Amino acid sequence: MSLPSAPGRIRTPGQELRRLLLCPLSYGGAVGDSHFKIRRNGVEKNPCQPPLRLLLGMPNVAPVLGNFLIGLREGLEASLVVGILVAYLVKTGRRHLLPKVWLGVAIAVGISLGVGAILTYGPRGLSFEAQEAIGGVLSLVAVGFVTWMVFWMARTARSLRGELEGKVDQAVAVGGTSLMLVALLAVGREGLETALFLWAAAKAAGSTTQPLLGGALGLIVAVVLGLLFYRGTLRLNLSRFFRWTGALLIVVAAGVLSYGIHDLQEAGILPGLNTLAFDVSEQIPPGSFLATILKGTINFSPRTSVLEAIAWTLYLIPTMFLFLRSIPRPSEVRQPASAEPVPTHN
Amino acid sequence: MLMARRSLVLLVTLFVVGSCSDRDPIGAIQVTSTDDQCEVASTSTPSGTITFEVTNQGGNVTEFYLYEADGLGIVGEVEDIGPGVTRQLVVEAPPGEYLTACKPGMTGEGIRAPFTVTG
Repeated sequence: MSLPSAPGRIRTPGQELRRLLLCPLSYGGAVGDSHFKIRRNGVEKNPCQPPLRLLLGMPNVAPVLGNFLIGLREGLEASLVVGILVAYLVKTGRRHLLPKVWLGVAIAVGISLGVGAILTYGPRGLSFEAQEAIGGVLSLVAVGFVTWMVFWMARTARSLRGELEGKVDQAVAVGGTSLMLVALLAVGREGLETALFLWAAAKAAGSTTQPLLGGALGLIVAVVLGLLFYRGTLRLNLSRFFRWTGALLIVVAAGVLSYGIHDLQEAGILPGLNTLAFDVSEQIPPGSFLATILKGTINFSPRTSVLEAIAWTLYLIPTMFLFLRSIPRPSEVRQPASAEPVPTHN
Repeated sequence: MLMARRSLVLLVTLFVVGSCSDRDPIGAIQVTSTDDQCEVASTSTPSGTITFEVTNQGGNVTEFYLYEADGLGIVGEVEDIGPGVTRQLVVEAPPGEYLTACKPGMTGEGIRAPFTVTG
């Protein structure tokens, strides 16, 4: 598996795809702007030149693409979690609770954009320590809520058997407020950081609109991917749906936990920022498309500290075990017998 | 329940407002980050609230860090500075020696330079 080492050489579609996925989307002839190197005949070469523009024929893609990837990454995780939430409500006949989800999303977007604008255009900025503390705390709170949501979904899966047999389990009914909070946290956790990025791009729009266009486009693509994902999960039978989306949410939550640990390490609240468990930045450059997808979905960091790795593992293994054990077997789960809404209470 | 919710909102607002630092747009130190260079307008500044205004003129997404003298402890950072975008780092730093670093591509040691905060 090798990549071309010189510009202008004919490349196969496979080689181009590998380059697309692994090379940072940089533009311009600056040598050494990527750390992804290969060895050919004993000589180290940088296969990530020339820039992508030769392929796309566009003169200056970097301001769009770099910011596109940021928008994509920021939007992906929220899009995924909200998509699962909506799919769950639709599949279990609880469509009437959907407005609560949208309300949570709207509040998160509104607050993020509003506070972001104040911080960008106003006279006061947010100190680094405060940013990291907020990010770290919000991440930990989000992990708690997502974990709760996963097990709540599992309990509901068991109750559906009861519905079929005419026994509705009232205890499993969930309040609209809790749903709203999960949606709010999913979007709001990274919302302020995203808003600050967008407003900074908007500020630059006085001289160049490309950063804002790229960033907005990235967010839109993230939403579209979430929508496609949602459509895909609808086709799963109920038992598989619970199992797979629940497992995915646990992996996502583990990623959020390790990200929160990282924030607290950067703020100096936790030690070990530079004690790494692994560093694959050479193989997966942080600015690349692959790194963006991995970071945006499961919060995979090419540079992971030991503390992050330990937290990730310590959360994932017991939680996944408990979850898989609590999910009913396929034969026990049926589609809801009627479309009547399940009674809820706040 | 409503009282608890209102108190929580008030608490969060107070925390956010209290965390805001006075930005100093006139005294901001300009940093120009390209794919292979990191130009910091000045290498020393009086202690207090320091504002760096970082502009990315390269093709990679970049980050800007203020490290302790040992190059390991992070005093402040600003991430996700996309190509063509300007973002600020607002940080409190006591007098001492520090290192500034731009990290185009968000990886590696970055382009570092000494920075002094005078008393």
